[in-house]
Amino acid sequence: MKTMKLEIVTPNGLIYEGDVKMVTLPGKEGEFGVLPEHASLVSLLETGVITVETADGKEIMIAINHGYVKVDENKVSCIVDGAVLISDEEGRLSERMAEAKELLQKAQTSDVAIAAAVSKVESIKKSY
Amino acid sequence: MASLKDIKRKIKSVKGTQKTTHAMKLVSSAKLKRAEELAKRSKTYAQKITEMIDEIALQIAKYNDVSDNIYFRKVENPSTVDIVFVTADKGLCGGFNSQTIKAVNTMIAEWSAKGAKVRLRAIGKKGIAYYRFNQMEMIDEIEGLSASPSYEEAAKFIRSCVNDYIEGKTDKVVVVHNGYVNMITQEIRVDNLVPVDPSNLPSEAQASSSELELEPDDDDTLLEALVHRYLEYVMYYALIDSLAAEHGARMQAMDAATTNAKEMVKSLTVQYNKARQEAITTELIEIISGVEALK
Repeated sequence: MKTMKLEIVTPNGLIYEGDVKMVTLPGKEGEFGVLPEHASLVSLLETGVITVETADGKEIMIAINHGYVKVDENKVSCIVDGAVLISDEEGRLSERMAEAKELLQKAQTSDVAIAAAVSKVESIKKSY
Repeated sequence: MASLKDIKRKIKSVKGTQKTTHAMKLVSSAKLKRAEELAKRSKTYAQKITEMIDEIALQIAKYNDVSDNIYFRKVENPSTVDIVFVTADKGLCGGFNSQTIKAVNTMIAEWSAKGAKVRLRAIGKKGIAYYRFNQMEMIDEIEGLSASPSYEEAAKFIRSCVNDYIEGKTDKVVVVHNGYVNMITQEIRVDNLVPVDPSNLPSEAQASSSELELEPDDDDTLLEALVHRYLEYVMYYALIDSLAAEHGARMQAMDAATTNAKEMVKSLTVQYNKARQEAITTELIEIISGVEALK
């Protein structure tokens, strides 16, 4: 299966970079999925969770507050204000989740969007 | 020949200077660490957002008519150019400020030769002082921002500049600063802010084969917000980068000053010992010749 490059950057540095099979992004006008060879697009990102399927089939979630994404045939670059990678690295999952929730709750958007994103983050716990 | 007392006083004064420069070096190296960390973290973001804007510019140029888009249009012969330059608020950092000023002067000469009117926007006391002394007009000046960069202030500063651009008062905005390469090297960096110039993209970069879509696509607000974000961040990053470079330059300058002071103390001490020996010898000769005379 084809893959594309994904980059997620915040003013605090690079959060994620790697080859992925699929990305689901929280766009301003609704969530949308991107596969390789997607037509080029620039979109506003809302508070929410980016779901990534990596090249080796793992699923990763990244909570973001606000930003932009540029998609083209072989690259997706996200420029966001704040992001937390939720991973089980070194058994720090709960710590990361708390961080992610804090980031989401601080975001200045509608409560509905925040609640949806927070519940999504909470559902991750169950899957681990 | 200077008297013993004079030399002693001089040694003391040089030692005092040495202490000061050494302390300044330590302060700068501590500050450098912090500034460097900040610059490193922001670098990726600045790079990526620039890359993104450049790619968008490339794509717009390929599929759309760029002449009606104010941020992406091509300006062949700008009649007015704004140069924004960043210098330090403080001196004692070697050639750091003069390098920037020299680069700005070269640019002024270049644009003037092409018939463009150059307007200066200065950040940092040292640059302002230089152009005031040379009686060159600056349309905007701000002090204190280069010593403690804040995103809001940087955004405000560049906003007024970009507003002039939108209103057509200027055709091109360039940012010049002395950037950080590593602890001992700085380099002059020039960013063409607006209009966006995609020519710095690596040559293998290609415009995507499909037309760019925007979402939400009601009007140009998305692109405009993105471009503003880009402009603000590039300005802010220039400040951070310049601050890190300034501390690097100061550390190096102060290190050199401390070494020089050490050398000076050494040669003065030799001089002092020589003079002391000479005085003793003269005294001895006097005593001996006095004794001889009495015989």
